[in-house]
Amino acid sequence: MPDQPHVRLVGVTKRLGTHLAVDGISLDVAEGTFMTLLGPSGCGKTTTLRMIAGFYSPDRGEIRIRDRVINDIPPHRRNTAMVFQEYALFPHMTVAENVGYGLRMRRVPRPEARRRVALVIELVGLSGQERKFPHQLSGGQQQRVALARALIVEPEVLLLDEPLSNLDAKLRVRVRTEIRQLQQRLGKTTLYVTHDQEEALAISDQIAVMHNGRILQVGTPAEIYFHPANRFVADFVGQGVFLPAKVLNARQVEIELGTLEGNIPNACTIGCDACGKGCRADILLRPDDVVHDDAAPTQAEVVHKAFRGAEILYTLRLASGRKVLALVPSHHNHALGERIGIRLDVDHVVAFQPEP
Amino acid sequence: MAVWTRTRGRMMADPGLVVAFAAVGALLVLFVLYPAVRVLIYPRLADYLAVPDNPRWLQAARNSLLMMVLSTLTATAVGFLYAFAISRRDMPLRRLFQTLSVLPLFAPPFMVAFSYILMFGRQGLITKALFGLDVNIFGWQGLWLVQTVAFFPFAALVIGAVLEQISPTVEYAALNLGATEGGVIRTVLFPLARPGVAAAALVVAISVLADFGNAVVIAGGFPLLATEAWFRIEGLADLKGAAVAVALLIVPTMILFLLERYWVGQRTYTVLTGKGTRIEQPPTPPLIRWLLFGGCVVVSAFVVIVYVGVLTGSVATVWGYKWTPTLAHWRLGLAQGGPQLITSLKIGVLSALLTSAVAVLAAFITSRPTLPLRNAIDFLAVLPAALPGVFIGVGYLLAFNGPPIILSGTVWILILALSFWHIPLGYQAARAQLKQIDRSIEEAAQNLGATGMRVLWDVYLPLLGPAFMASFINAFIRAVTNLSIVVFLITPRTLVATYSILAMIGGGFWGAAAALTTALLAITLLGVGAARLVLRVGLRPIGAT
Repeated sequence: MPDQPHVRLVGVTKRLGTHLAVDGISLDVAEGTFMTLLGPSGCGKTTTLRMIAGFYSPDRGEIRIRDRVINDIPPHRRNTAMVFQEYALFPHMTVAENVGYGLRMRRVPRPEARRRVALVIELVGLSGQERKFPHQLSGGQQQRVALARALIVEPEVLLLDEPLSNLDAKLRVRVRTEIRQLQQRLGKTTLYVTHDQEEALAISDQIAVMHNGRILQVGTPAEIYFHPANRFVADFVGQGVFLPAKVLNARQVEIELGTLEGNIPNACTIGCDACGKGCRADILLRPDDVVHDDAAPTQAEVVHKAFRGAEILYTLRLASGRKVLALVPSHHNHALGERIGIRLDVDHVVAFQPEP
Repeated sequence: MAVWTRTRGRMMADPGLVVAFAAVGALLVLFVLYPAVRVLIYPRLADYLAVPDNPRWLQAARNSLLMMVLSTLTATAVGFLYAFAISRRDMPLRRLFQTLSVLPLFAPPFMVAFSYILMFGRQGLITKALFGLDVNIFGWQGLWLVQTVAFFPFAALVIGAVLEQISPTVEYAALNLGATEGGVIRTVLFPLARPGVAAAALVVAISVLADFGNAVVIAGGFPLLATEAWFRIEGLADLKGAAVAVALLIVPTMILFLLERYWVGQRTYTVLTGKGTRIEQPPTPPLIRWLLFGGCVVVSAFVVIVYVGVLTGSVATVWGYKWTPTLAHWRLGLAQGGPQLITSLKIGVLSALLTSAVAVLAAFITSRPTLPLRNAIDFLAVLPAALPGVFIGVGYLLAFNGPPIILSGTVWILILALSFWHIPLGYQAARAQLKQIDRSIEEAAQNLGATGMRVLWDVYLPLLGPAFMASFINAFIRAVTNLSIVVFLITPRTLVATYSILAMIGGGFWGAAAALTTALLAITLLGVGAARLVLRVGLRPIGAT
């Protein structure tokens, strides 16, 4: 089957002690896809990854790689190389020995192993460091060793468990770009775990947002950001506030700041038949949906501002007392308490049922 | 101590620190360096040069080295397997094994030998009564067994500490890269433990060379350097000969000590992971687990036998012939040794207090970065670890028997000798703890307005509580159970329990000796318990954050 998923999880459940870490999740990962498991700590993303690596076996459900069920295959026979959050480099081995470890375990003849080690070390840009020990390397270099050590075994699936969390902010952005480029070049099916939504949006083909052991939504970064399936996803990914709205019809809602047009499917579910006039909904407004415009009739008061370099993130109080966020180029610098004109520029209307 | 100044650069101008520095330095020179030098210069050059012509010396030296090699090999191997077994979280009875391996550390140093004579000797409960064998346990084979059992706990302790440091993630990484469970042990866990094994072997080797208690009880006619010194003085009043013997002994121990400190000590693999891992160890393969379990059972049995031997020995009417229980030995032992137990206890408490005070103060001084000569103080504070007890014993005998300071015959010579011999462990514990304390904590206290004196009092002393306690307990146990030093320094007025036990064993009063040993063990354990209680209440540790 050409469109068979490369990795498939079906109803996978795992209890750790008394804690239900993973609660019946199903997920398909297509060949060559960069799939990110995104969620707050304790959501079950790392447990899921460790089950795919074979460190835990699922209590219920099935994990498949292609058409093979791998539930009971021990970790060392899976070929699902992993990059660990704390790298887990072998401190008693040099860079070259660390990278070559997987080949040694697979009894690859020495000359070939040497050749492949040199190749992979070059691939991750560590040439010249082969004889150093891990503690002689910087954090970023250690990270590359961990990556090289996983890549060299030509894993069926590459697993990365928050690999950037021990790097400083600037390096994190650089390394994640490198990881992504490398993954695209090698076309390697990759599962990536992170709690950093910005990282997930920047790097992934697909994101699976997890919470309390369940997958809430799977989609491309744009789908997750613009069409969050529920309030948790909307809240966790990106910034924004909810404003109460009145549904005018299936394509129009009215909020304090004006009328919005677009497809508004989520607003019309239970208790709201046919999206008739008068139904209530909550509308998600992202900071980029609110535009500062001196000519606009609607005014709001600046109650807080966070300078971000190129932009300022304003928190504005509306006439009703509700607050919205607005991302404004930083040459528009307004003092606290000032009233500034705003208008809406909403591409994607995201609406949810009001909370009871 | 007066004011510790605010900036580190001006530390030298601080009179309090200078006084403390001078006091600690003077004490270490007088009570560590001076006796050591006295031993080495007491024999004339001609006496040293005559050593190769004396077959008895050569024999003793060769035997000491042979025992060092044999016992170090076995004790380290057993210690490693034991430590590895109890480092596995899925090992059955793990806690029990752990406790059993620590028990011998509380026992007097001759206890293993004595008990094994009772259990495996010619009148042995196991050899004769159980199997009807006629076994002569005296000699090098017996000593080998005894030293293995007596010293494997040291090895297990050192290696265990290294194994504990290994993050389970490293095991997962190896499994993930295709290593089998056995492969993980072979390619990752063993190599990572190697520096620990080397360090353990050196520690054990020093202990074996210096082992006086077991050797004097069980070696029989097998001459060794450690016992030779005492035989020279006891039998021949030959001070010069004793000095030569311990001087010969110091050559290998010094080499081992320097190796441990400057070579192996630098080589332990740094833990790289910043964040603590909460992840559990992967399971141990069943075959390996049960093999290790079997090994632990055997080794533990040998440890338990030590205690069973002494306990039954104290109540059996006539060992080897009449096994009916009696309290006669206890009556005799306590009547003869009771006062000496009290003396031992007093000496133990006083010397342990002195040890810990000097150790913590010395550590505090040498951790100030700007002090000149701090390396000299540091060296003197760890040097006693390289000196066998018999060396210290002979040293104090020679150094404080005449002007400028005469202490011989008093209880103070015992207290001082034991105190300064036991400084290294407390000193190193305090140093390690000070290293853990971030400078910023001191700076924070100053920043919030604490003056120098208060910084020491509020910040460092509470944080050093655990080190003080470790030092006190270690020094107390070793002082109460010491034999190698006290045999040279006691007089009829200052008898201690260990010496009486040795005399009873020598005189064939096994029952009384066993009773007194049991009593000594009980006192040691009670003392440790009391110390823990007092120190926990007095110096509540402010959690090592």
